[in-house]
Amino acid sequence: MKGYDRKTIGDLLEGALPWQQTKQIMSSYKDDDRFLKALAAHQMRVPWKARILLPLGENLYIVLKEGQRVVRCSCGFVFGDASRNWKLGAVVLVRKTRQELEEIYPHADVCDGNWMELREFICPSCATLLEVEACAPGYPIVEDFRPDLDAFYSEWLGAPLEDASGEASPNEHGGSSLSQPPDRNT
Amino acid sequence: MTRSRPVVAGIDAGGTMTDTILVDQSGEFTVGKAATTPQCEALGFLESAEEACHYRGIGLETMFRNVDVVLYSGTGMLNVLLSRTGRRLGLITTRGMEDMVLMGRGLQAWSGYSYSDRLHAVTHCHPEPLVSRLDTFGVTERIDHFGDVIIELYEHEVRDAVITLIDRRVEAICVCLLFAHVNPTHERRIAEIARAELKAHGSETDLYLSHDVRPVVREQSRLNSVLIEAYATGRGRQQLASIQDTAARHGFRHTVQTLQSFGGLTSIAHPHLHETMVSGPIGGILGAQYVGRLIGTDSLVVSDLGGTSFDMGIITRGQVRIEHEPVMGRFKLNLPMIAMDTIGAGAGMHLKVDPVTGKVSLGPDSAGSEPGPVCFDKGNLQPTVCDCDAILGRLNPEYFLGGKVRLNVELAHEAFRKRCAEPLGIDNVHDAAEGMLTMLESEASTALRRILSAQGIHPSEYALLSYGGSGPLHLGGYSRDIGFSDILTFKFAAAFSAFGCTTADYQKRFSRSVRLDVPLAGDEEEMSHVARRIDIVWNDLRRQAGNQMKADGHSANNVHCKPFLLMRFTGQLEDVEIASPIELVADSKGLETVVATFVDTYRKINRCVSTYGQAGVTIVELGVAASAAKIKPKLVRKQLGSPSPCQNTHKGQREVYFGGSWHSTDLWEMDGLQPGNEIGGPAVIEHPATTLVVHPGDQVFVDEWSILHYRHG
Repeated sequence: MKGYDRKTIGDLLEGALPWQQTKQIMSSYKDDDRFLKALAAHQMRVPWKARILLPLGENLYIVLKEGQRVVRCSCGFVFGDASRNWKLGAVVLVRKTRQELEEIYPHADVCDGNWMELREFICPSCATLLEVEACAPGYPIVEDFRPDLDAFYSEWLGAPLEDASGEASPNEHGGSSLSQPPDRNT
Repeated sequence: MTRSRPVVAGIDAGGTMTDTILVDQSGEFTVGKAATTPQCEALGFLESAEEACHYRGIGLETMFRNVDVVLYSGTGMLNVLLSRTGRRLGLITTRGMEDMVLMGRGLQAWSGYSYSDRLHAVTHCHPEPLVSRLDTFGVTERIDHFGDVIIELYEHEVRDAVITLIDRRVEAICVCLLFAHVNPTHERRIAEIARAELKAHGSETDLYLSHDVRPVVREQSRLNSVLIEAYATGRGRQQLASIQDTAARHGFRHTVQTLQSFGGLTSIAHPHLHETMVSGPIGGILGAQYVGRLIGTDSLVVSDLGGTSFDMGIITRGQVRIEHEPVMGRFKLNLPMIAMDTIGAGAGMHLKVDPVTGKVSLGPDSAGSEPGPVCFDKGNLQPTVCDCDAILGRLNPEYFLGGKVRLNVELAHEAFRKRCAEPLGIDNVHDAAEGMLTMLESEASTALRRILSAQGIHPSEYALLSYGGSGPLHLGGYSRDIGFSDILTFKFAAAFSAFGCTTADYQKRFSRSVRLDVPLAGDEEEMSHVARRIDIVWNDLRRQAGNQMKADGHSANNVHCKPFLLMRFTGQLEDVEIASPIELVADSKGLETVVATFVDTYRKINRCVSTYGQAGVTIVELGVAASAAKIKPKLVRKQLGSPSPCQNTHKGQREVYFGGSWHSTDLWEMDGLQPGNEIGGPAVIEHPATTLVVHPGDQVFVDEWSILHYRHG
């Protein structure tokens, strides 16, 4: 499959590509090395050196820092271990009154604060809005997803992640490393 | 060989190639081809005409001095629209409707997309509006759907809007008000005020009024029609003028003609040039209609397989279906157009294999003529369908486009092995390539079956006609097992669209939206009232048609006006166009005749069970089609001769891959085949512009009109 150069992928992430080109990339099969090029583009955007393992959002990453997998904001703030919900370490702005909600939704589009509230998760260091969730009041903080990085790296990318000791981590599922990604249909 | 002088020159400038066909009085054709030159279409036009003249053995000047009709259908205006290089527009509309340009029609967000993209809403995106929202001004006024003025026009707002638009240096001002097609008073008044202001400011900005461009119901399509007319036709007119200049410089004495999307010829000075924007693809349908009439086969399915698309159309008992709201450049328009279905499938399409799932897909992007398929050796390394044809020996590497392009089969083989066969895990490259061809052919075949079943047509009552540069190459594959009564193709298949354009008559359509309810159990007086109203509109349109045809230089005796109506069962949303069986309705009896014709046509299209007579019938549009005959090419009928072709026609043998093995295959020169000749497969019949592949067990027969009939074994 045709690969794109790193700059194109970087522009794609920045939203700087013309729509026609973006649409063409979206409608084509995904190129083999898209993930690695996207990681490299992300790495160029952040001011720190720690290796990015997986982007979680526009400004949020799982990174390998001093042998630990941690969640980190693009400003450098560390939320803690990647196996723990990073949102628990964020500053939260809850919008539930009509006035608070009307700042986001105009007029008739506003929701009933007794049924739904908006929780905005903000970086304590740089005040970037990292994530928003819409929940019923009282609902626990949502953990969006907990990626299985070892399986992803070994079975899909064919390059097992190393831990702090420099050895490949054991596969959680007990499977061996594959040089080719498996068929998605199986 | 002595040949009589050509009388018609048809030039069809497609997306990649410009085809010229010269036709003489005895109906003989000569075809020339050259690459389309979008920046200055006159160059491609001249080069392709020169080539046709060369093959015919006459000079360019001789040809232009002698022909009576030069017919040009180009893509210039469509390119202006697609590349967004048209004029800067301003818009004046009814206050409150200013956002119409931004909202558009929902389907415009995905029109022209592949099926998978239609399903993925993330790829949906509205086309960039042709007029900026900042250059759009609402003026207070309102006319209701009866045509009554509810709010008078606030003239000072018009003045302010026009002055602002002049300051903003727009190149054309469009006016589109609600219900202007019922009562255009306010649009006309706006035009008066605007002209006065433009004059006062010394501005030469053009004005376009929606009721003038397209006086029919549905304001979004009407708005798009007027915007596209203003946006794209300015430069399009320049291109056509340069074609006219070029022809005149070489001795042509008349006006160059162009084709409207519903199939009528008109001069390039046509006031609504956007109606000629899409004319190339419909040329084939007109040609098929004409050929069908000559040879006595009036029900045809036409199929045009080119480099990027597979176009299909249906002719039932000599009649083609007209679509009234087609999509052009992703805008829904109000414009009568010959209905054609298109899927993305062509010989230039890139073949791709998903690295993860191993799924194979065709296109949607195509290699075009530059850089072209891999075998053209011009830098493209992504294999195409054409490369598979070359790998399997179906194309002659030394005789592609008559030898103009030498095919590098080895390069195509290598690229295909690396990018398609290996990722699929298939060792035999030829098997993989044949699989790709089967995929293209079954996509085309499925598309044909789909339109047949959607229209309730049984293929045994229809003949399939195949043309386009790649049509004959894949005809054997895509026509198999559908059960057509006959399968036809031509020696000039590659230029059939250009040929079709030359068979058109001068024609103009004039129509007006109305809303006339005809209750089926209506009383005599009510029926007569409706009949009188129809006649008033028809007479008015006849007058208009007569004047315009006269202005185009046709004498009144040669002009025939045929009235038509768009009708529906009251409450339904789709209209059916019917040609009126009578010239004037006159009274209730006449109206009953018209309604009976509608019900009959409706049943033919939609089957009996779908009629909805209890609701009554509504007439939504009245129109007149004015036409004047023109000289046309003739097909020459010859005596059937011997079944065995002349030995000079035999070009030798080549190994060609069919059904998983190599076959020693006879090669024939298509131009040398004579009526009566029969060729059994496996065989390859070659022509400079196309190749007909005859599969093992199949047969090709040349009839008395020199049409090739493909028969499956």
